[in-house]
Amino acid sequence: MNETHAKTEEIVKRCKALGADEVIAQTTFGSYRQTRFSNNQIDISVAWNNYVTDVALAWKNRIVATQIINFQNVDERIRRLFEIVKVSKENPMFGGFAKGRFPYQKSKADRSVVNIENPAEYVFEAIEAARKEAGPETNAGGILFTKLEDVYLVSSEGPNGEDCRSAIELSIRAFSQKETSGHGVECSSILKGFDAARAGEKAGEIAKLAKNPKAGVEGRYDIIFDPLFTGSLLSMWGSMTSAFAIMVQMSIFVDKLNQKVASDIVTLRDTPASYSIANRVFDDEGMPTKENVLINKGVLKTYLHNTSTAKIFNTETTGNAGIIMPSPWNVEMDAGGMNRDEMFQEVKRGLYLTNTWYTRFQNYATGDFSTIPRDGMFLIEKGEIKQSWKDIRLSDNALKMLSNVVGISKERQHIYWWGIDGDLPSLSPYILIKDVQITRPK
Amino acid sequence: MDRDIADFALQYAVSRKVDYAEVRAHRENRESLIMKNGILDAYVSAVDSGFCVRVLADGGIGFASTNKWTKEEAKAIVEIAYKSAKMAKRKDKIVFAEEKSVKADWKVDEKKRIENVSAGTRIETLMEIDKALTAQRINVPARMFTFGTNLTEKYFVNSEGSVISSYVPKMGAYIFITVVENGKPEQAYKQFGYAGGWEAIDEWKITEEMINQAKVLQRVIKEGKAVKLEKMDLICGPEVTGIAAHESCGHPMEADRILGREMSQAGRSFIYQGGPFWLGTKIGSPVVTIVDDPTVKNSYGYYEYDDEGIKARPRFLYKKGVISEFLHNRETAAKLNTRSNGASRAINYDRESIVRMANTFVQPGDMGEEEIFEDVKQGVYMRSFTEWNIDDKRFNQRYVGREAYWIEKGELKHPLARPVIETTTLTFWSAVDAVSKKVKYDSATCGKGDPMQGVPVYTGGPMIRLRGVYVK
Repeated sequence: MNETHAKTEEIVKRCKALGADEVIAQTTFGSYRQTRFSNNQIDISVAWNNYVTDVALAWKNRIVATQIINFQNVDERIRRLFEIVKVSKENPMFGGFAKGRFPYQKSKADRSVVNIENPAEYVFEAIEAARKEAGPETNAGGILFTKLEDVYLVSSEGPNGEDCRSAIELSIRAFSQKETSGHGVECSSILKGFDAARAGEKAGEIAKLAKNPKAGVEGRYDIIFDPLFTGSLLSMWGSMTSAFAIMVQMSIFVDKLNQKVASDIVTLRDTPASYSIANRVFDDEGMPTKENVLINKGVLKTYLHNTSTAKIFNTETTGNAGIIMPSPWNVEMDAGGMNRDEMFQEVKRGLYLTNTWYTRFQNYATGDFSTIPRDGMFLIEKGEIKQSWKDIRLSDNALKMLSNVVGISKERQHIYWWGIDGDLPSLSPYILIKDVQITRPK
Repeated sequence: MDRDIADFALQYAVSRKVDYAEVRAHRENRESLIMKNGILDAYVSAVDSGFCVRVLADGGIGFASTNKWTKEEAKAIVEIAYKSAKMAKRKDKIVFAEEKSVKADWKVDEKKRIENVSAGTRIETLMEIDKALTAQRINVPARMFTFGTNLTEKYFVNSEGSVISSYVPKMGAYIFITVVENGKPEQAYKQFGYAGGWEAIDEWKITEEMINQAKVLQRVIKEGKAVKLEKMDLICGPEVTGIAAHESCGHPMEADRILGREMSQAGRSFIYQGGPFWLGTKIGSPVVTIVDDPTVKNSYGYYEYDDEGIKARPRFLYKKGVISEFLHNRETAAKLNTRSNGASRAINYDRESIVRMANTFVQPGDMGEEEIFEDVKQGVYMRSFTEWNIDDKRFNQRYVGREAYWIEKGELKHPLARPVIETTTLTFWSAVDAVSKKVKYDSATCGKGDPMQGVPVYTGGPMIRLRGVYVK
């Protein structure tokens, strides 16, 4: 056990000695690096070093928590926790923290991600790839981000482990004209195979296609969603499977366990697998993480739980703690049977939307929402892209769209970028959804 | 917070012969509660403290931060920032607009000191709100409350001689409720924010506000009628006026967006050099003046100096319907050959300061609220909104009414079920023909930056009347 792990354990011991019923301490030493660029030049390079221990303590079913920075003022923070917990209120829904000793998978994190000698090379590689596709006048911006976290978790209830989490992400948006653009991302947990140019090429390819857009037309369309757009939809649907979201009705899945909520071809999973930028081997209670099937062939199979929400729902934790809120780590949609080109051939008259942002709900329980497509948006006729569009909005219902998925591609991409509401990474295919409502400003 | 280490970091950065260096240290004392359906989930108490170094060298910017308060760590992050700045190798070198150095020490006063309010009182305050809300004859099966206080000390020093210390206590709350009537759910949320002390609790009147929200939702479910799409007059209450001002005036007037620095995240702006809109271009009717003002006392977006040490002042964004003044930090001001107007903000020590709004609102006009309704033959009064969004050039936007009523011959009639205005920035502000006298503010958290920085702001304004716009 290294010194950091030992200090983490010491915090748990001290809290127990002072009378805590249950304690979890989780120390994260994180190094984060980001290079931001716009107008084809680097604007700023940013580095954060973060040394923090999150402590959660239960006493007589009352839950309090704190953060200790770099093991400073430990006694003061613990004293404050006990001051608060003595006047706090009982939480009858507290089900305890996860209990038992667990073997954890060995982390496959890549320590080299934060030691990239010259991040600018990746940035310029992506920019050049975009310009090669869309032309020398192309104007690109984005970020290169790397993360390395060493995590040490000790629980009075048994869990005790170490994890290392790594990620590298490149996000690039290329403008071929002042108001026409394409967006590409490249996300991985390891440096090997990371291809910055691939993101640039995708951004450039869409930016080129998107030139000279016409105002879109309101109506209902069959729509092919690019993996980047699908990533936002998976984040939206995935977030709504958290038991916390169910309990506060910020979900379309309330009271729908074991019911049909999607078309037969839809299977959704949550997994912080080693390829994912959300890779982790245990959750915030120290439960080993695992793959959970959220929706199996259209049927909602589980909500995502920590120990407490699992007890409320009379089930087992799914390894998705959050001490307070369980949450998904990385949502996958199972691959379908057609490739991208075959999917286009399915569409007589429809749209191809490549990206979106600003997803907002009128009502989470009913699922009524809208979101604003951005970057390339195209009219498809007889399987071919016929026209570039602009200024449209997708205004529909999250549950209905899930039921109207009629095509899923074989190709999938690991997706994450700044604009994903719900902030979830995903493994996203192209999907075809029928009869989706498009509106526009009048 | 160890100011000696911050000073040491600055001296060390200066010794590296940079064009500019600054150190910004924060200490944040946070207490927050989360309550779900009447049960206190958790009480969190934490102190976060750290510092960042930003340097300008060879026309590039490097930034590094840490929460380890040692001289060795300070040296290490200066080296990272310095190396990062040199790596940029920009063709057009970044410079900062010139500013005089400042020595200042400022703080926001608390009538009732937050530190003196016990944890027990904080918990009871939330419990009482929930109890009052559920005592009504309204079915509110889902309720989520978050509540927090944040006492922020900052220490800013730069290589030009500025030394600024500040202390800002803030309080914030967010409440989300679901009302069910006849099996149908409707939802509402409300955010509260304040710079100052515990007196905010009295000013917010959360209990009355949330009971009213619940009643409104119940009535919408029972009596709300749809609107048939047509051109009509629309009266926006301050909450709707405020969100429109924030989204379609404040954001597109951020100079970093205009210059493309946010192009791959929050986006650009419909305003750009060589485009149809620029300083001096008409964007609305002459009765529309929109201001961003960090100096509104006790506002959620209050500050006296920004995070580059520039004195705060009101910025007139749209003035009498004309694009008037962008929001700037020192970097964007230099690019557009002007001076910073103090709009640079960072949410914590581990984030770079970027161009942000503070409190954005439509200035009051000269009409009484009754006068505004008087000559509306038929139309919609949208008092508050639920779903909203806007495209990333800040032109194509949509607001869906949460509390809204049909107006006929100047009188309010039945409630409306989620009426929608989907329009453009130009259409919206050009259609305004009347502005009431009284400004009201709402609190919000504005999202921008990568990584995301949610900064506290006010949105607001008076009641405004739009003539002949499509509502559906």
